[in-house]
Amino acid sequence: MTDYNAMDDDAFRLMVRSWVVAHYPEDLRNPPKRLHWRDNKVWYHKLAEKGWLCPGWPAAHGGMGLDAGKQIVFMEECERHGVARTNDHGIIMVGPLLIQYGTEAQRAEFLPKILSGDHVWCQGYSEPNAGSDLASLRTAAVSDGDDWVVNGQKIWTTLANDANWIFLLVRTDPAAKKQEGISFLLVPMDSPGITVRPIVNIDLHDEFCEVFFDAVRVPKRWTVGAVNQGWTMAKNLLGFERIYLGSPKLSGYALSRLKLLAERMGVWDDAAFRDRYTGLSMEMADLKALHATFVDIVRRGLPLGPDVSMLKVIQTELFQKITDAMMDIAGENAGLLEPIEGNRNLHPAGQFIQARPSTIYGGSNEIQRNILARNVLALPA
Amino acid sequence: MSAAEDRSENIRLLRDSAAAIIPADYRRIRALRFTDPGFDRAVWQEMCDMGWAAVRVPEAQGGSGLGVAEYCALAEALGRGLVPEPFIGAVTAASVLSGAALAEAISGASVILPAWQERANTIDCAGDTTVSGGRANGRKMFIAQAGGADAFVVSGRDGVALVARDAAGVSLSIERTQDGGSFGTLTLDNAACTPLAGDMAAALEEASLATGAYLLGVMDRVFSMTLDYMRTRQQFGRAIGSFQALQHRAADLKIQVALTRASVEAAAVTLDTSQHPAVRQAAVSRAKARAAEAAMLVTRQCIQLHGGIGYTDEADAGLFLRKAMVLSSLHGGAALHRARYAAVAPDDDE
Repeated sequence: MTDYNAMDDDAFRLMVRSWVVAHYPEDLRNPPKRLHWRDNKVWYHKLAEKGWLCPGWPAAHGGMGLDAGKQIVFMEECERHGVARTNDHGIIMVGPLLIQYGTEAQRAEFLPKILSGDHVWCQGYSEPNAGSDLASLRTAAVSDGDDWVVNGQKIWTTLANDANWIFLLVRTDPAAKKQEGISFLLVPMDSPGITVRPIVNIDLHDEFCEVFFDAVRVPKRWTVGAVNQGWTMAKNLLGFERIYLGSPKLSGYALSRLKLLAERMGVWDDAAFRDRYTGLSMEMADLKALHATFVDIVRRGLPLGPDVSMLKVIQTELFQKITDAMMDIAGENAGLLEPIEGNRNLHPAGQFIQARPSTIYGGSNEIQRNILARNVLALPA
Repeated sequence: MSAAEDRSENIRLLRDSAAAIIPADYRRIRALRFTDPGFDRAVWQEMCDMGWAAVRVPEAQGGSGLGVAEYCALAEALGRGLVPEPFIGAVTAASVLSGAALAEAISGASVILPAWQERANTIDCAGDTTVSGGRANGRKMFIAQAGGADAFVVSGRDGVALVARDAAGVSLSIERTQDGGSFGTLTLDNAACTPLAGDMAAALEEASLATGAYLLGVMDRVFSMTLDYMRTRQQFGRAIGSFQALQHRAADLKIQVALTRASVEAAAVTLDTSQHPAVRQAAVSRAKARAAEAAMLVTRQCIQLHGGIGYTDEADAGLFLRKAMVLSSLHGGAALHRARYAAVAPDDDE
């Protein structure tokens, strides 16, 4: 097996680039919206066959085992070619969860199925009345012999309409303090009693869903970690998610589109615009540098601290500032429903709309700031 | 009553009559989105029956003879309701029309819209189109709700003319906009036209301000809906509106709404009282720059304050964001109006 980490960065970059360019489906480059599994699966399987599906997983579990620097090179090359985000909850959430907290049997059961694309995962965290206040979640699992019986509702479940498995936070001890009665379950989406309802977004796309659980039986062997200890794991997993949501990728793509738009609108050489663009571009470089320090913590197997919330705040707000700049220079084109003159690289309104939920999902930026204030700065509640 | 009291009573009555035809919910608005022509001709007829298309037409010509302040009060009320009928376009056209065409336009018998723009990012109706000799040639863009027009008032470098939608040599293509309406691109290839005497530039000045007033209605309404949500949505065992960070953000948004209202209303008074071109232009640009920027800020933040539900299509907040996305740049965005303000405004130390 190739030791990618031993390779020279430039050689690694060229290797990734030439393979991505040769194999990524041309018609899926830079899609204006999150793609569904029907479009993603071809690329997912190509990555899996190549052994490149999970750059951050240890090689022993079927990942590439890349160090922080190489992961960033890998990400940059995908971004450079306009590779779409795939159905990646198994890759970035379930895999790391099971590697850290799962049993040997669970790892053997689930990791190969993620790598093969047989299992497409979604995340069942938020509920209608447990969004920012996630720990108040009420979907309940009651013990019944060898099973849990689950009743309740999840919402904002990304691409649940594509998934055949869901990882779920449920309340297993209603009497305990709210963070202490939560467990982590792995549940097949074809279990009797599960209903999925897509939510039409503000961009008229169905990226999110509601998932309803009506007396769904889940074998107890699909509990991850100890019963009533799910919150700690979920928080750690949110750390992984924040590294992902804090990845400079989205902003990097948007920034390159801002430049194209500026050229198209004839303001690229305008001094006021260039100052603004340069400021955004420098913030992007600083974000990359900060992001790399967190990726490195993960690579060394150390736990992420609450300070990872910074990444999510910076990335999502930078993304929004970039799309604000697009709207400001696009003139009347800022109101168009479709890309300018059919060129999907020139779609300020689409990018602007796409940037809206990033400061809401994955723990709203208000919650991230609470975490920073309380848990990093130790300010009083 | 004094003249000023009469005036504010007028405005109050107009607001009331506008409120009467705007439903409390947005079902009608949703149903019209992404349809052709994107508005309801019967509702437009009601608006014409109340004299709104003629708000700026002198009484001697059969109009209501009201001022810019009244025009803006109506636009603001329609903005609160996200009303898609082409009020500002029709008022702009009516200012340029006369005779039988004017009578048809203000009665609602014809929908006549202005076609003045030849590129993005401009408020100048100058361009390459020609309308002399009874023939129109050229291309006009960003004509809001153009699909529902029976005729267009077209600006040319050699005058202004009326062009029928179905005349030979007229073609119209439609692009959908984020709010569910549309922009038309009008191509004129030796199309028959009738010369008009009106002043398009003056009408466009008022249209810029009225668009700012409409945006004021948009932001004021979605802000008040958001405050209601903050009072009722519970997280962590209390209303989210009780969190100080969110209270401060709401207070900041209130400040932007108040600045916009002050700016728009002051500009309306200026247009009603001053004949000085630079003074008028500076007032309009100040108001539209503020309205454009504040509308985007307020509608964006209202989505954020709604949280996940704010990102769904079934939540009304998104309708307001998408309206602001279209209107903030129409009749000039913030940067364009700041640039014009810098060019025409008197020095601060004078």
